[in-house]
Amino acid sequence: MTATLTRPVALPEAPRRRRPRSRAAAWAAVAVIGFFGLAPIYWLVVTAFTPDDQAFSFPPALFPTEITFDHFTRLADNEQLFGYLVNSVVVSVVTAVLSVLVSAYMAYAFSKFRYRGRRSLMHLVLASQLFPQALLLVTLYAVFSATGLLGSYGALILSFTTFTLPLCVWMLKGIFDTVPSTLMEAAAIDGASRWRTLHTIALPLAAPGLVAAGLFAFVRAWNDFVFALTLTDPDRQTLPPGLVHTYLGEFQTAWPDLMAASFVVSLPVIAAFMFLQRYLVGGLTAGAVKG
Amino acid sequence: MTGRKLTDGQFAWLLMVPGLALFAAIIAYPLVSALVTGFFEQSLVRPGRSFVGLANYGDLLGGDFWPVLRNTLVFTLGATIAPFVIGYALALALNSGLPGWLRGLFLFPWVIPGVVVSFLWLWIFNANYGVLNGLLGTHVSWLGEPGTAMLAVIVTKTWASFPWMMVMLLAGLQTMPKELHEAASVDGAGAIRRFRSVTVPHMRAIAGIAFLLEFIWNFQHFDTIYVLTGGGPAGATKTFAVAVYDTAFKGFDLGHATALGGLWMLLLLVLMAFYLRKENA
Repeated sequence: MTATLTRPVALPEAPRRRRPRSRAAAWAAVAVIGFFGLAPIYWLVVTAFTPDDQAFSFPPALFPTEITFDHFTRLADNEQLFGYLVNSVVVSVVTAVLSVLVSAYMAYAFSKFRYRGRRSLMHLVLASQLFPQALLLVTLYAVFSATGLLGSYGALILSFTTFTLPLCVWMLKGIFDTVPSTLMEAAAIDGASRWRTLHTIALPLAAPGLVAAGLFAFVRAWNDFVFALTLTDPDRQTLPPGLVHTYLGEFQTAWPDLMAASFVVSLPVIAAFMFLQRYLVGGLTAGAVKG
Repeated sequence: MTGRKLTDGQFAWLLMVPGLALFAAIIAYPLVSALVTGFFEQSLVRPGRSFVGLANYGDLLGGDFWPVLRNTLVFTLGATIAPFVIGYALALALNSGLPGWLRGLFLFPWVIPGVVVSFLWLWIFNANYGVLNGLLGTHVSWLGEPGTAMLAVIVTKTWASFPWMMVMLLAGLQTMPKELHEAASVDGAGAIRRFRSVTVPHMRAIAGIAFLLEFIWNFQHFDTIYVLTGGGPAGATKTFAVAVYDTAFKGFDLGHATALGGLWMLLLLVLMAFYLRKENA
């Protein structure tokens, strides 16, 4: 009894003594990594608002004395960029909807039924995200060329949808796993068909997960560079290759304009991720988001 | 409805038809087709092809393959180890009771689109007006010199992926029971000893998976390298992804591109076997 009594007395003291030092070390690590991690973001934003003459001075002014919105207004006036934006929106939205549809059915099959080949298929789906996309691209180009899809939105949408499936399927399987099977059994006893049970019970219950999966798919399509660069006609290209064509081809790059464009392109993705925060860890550990 | 007449298994397979069709069309068929094409002499733009057996592989192994393998390994190791170390340090720091909003702040580099990451660092590394040269008082062409280009590319990729490592490792740290550390510190273990004997063993599984996944992704990474250097200068940053892309879409040489892809796949399959074993364990 005395032994157990002395312990609680000694215990609070040890953490109290080490806390200030380890706290300081933690803050120091955060400060160093914070500079590496956040200074570039600061530089992106600052450059986007810095007048050209200051942005192209050397050494650059770390705290510009003047702020301008010129780069953003020039962006808004650029019809070509607006076209890329429309393409990005179309491709990303359709990809998101299609991904959710396809992956929800597949995830439901993985979650609620037991059948031969299920486990190996699940692993295959997971592994498929690890195949080199640059290699797939080479022969996909030929496939789309032969089917006449090359250059169209369809080529991009089908590719992006497929590449988001592993993550979306695993994410939604996790969500369907939390929907009690007794609900479905009850529906079956009441005479509902399997389709009806799926559509009126399981899918509505998984709605937040469906939104999250859709946003992941949206972001994947929005961010892609190499497929959009290769599989589409110039007038169907999305923003990432569009920005490369617009800004990096010239002799002198308009850096502040490019930073302003980068800022704008990042906004929808940042907004999506703020919404997705709580799905992040589960989604990440299930597989990949960005490859 | 018809749902009734099917068995559970048949219904499940029916649900998977759209997904499996997409996998077959967009991943499986192109992959198999690529592996077959590696044995032919074929152009991307002209129809027709002729069987050449192992000639494409012979050409590659006689030269181009080795520098590309070396570059890929250097890039992959650098761009995996650095974010791992930074992410681990950050996860440990954030797990010791720092405010939670910091975690969200650090996600920014990972969240912004890859091509924006490349633009941003192109600007930072710019030889004439870049802020890095501004801070150092130099005019180094970081991406234009064979000696520094790879390092610059690795730094960029590290910046883009350390937050992912942080999130993964933080998730692992948060599943560690606090009592373990308290017990160890009662027994007189210092911070370093506790990290070695409590944290590291607890984190082995998730750290292993995170490292391996990042390694596999970097092994096939394309965007950052392509936008920053295009594989140059003088091939100094030419990895498998860039080499396959260039051979196919700039050289129009489908045979050699897919043969190189075949060798690349072979190496990836070894890594994937590791991954699936770890994932199952």
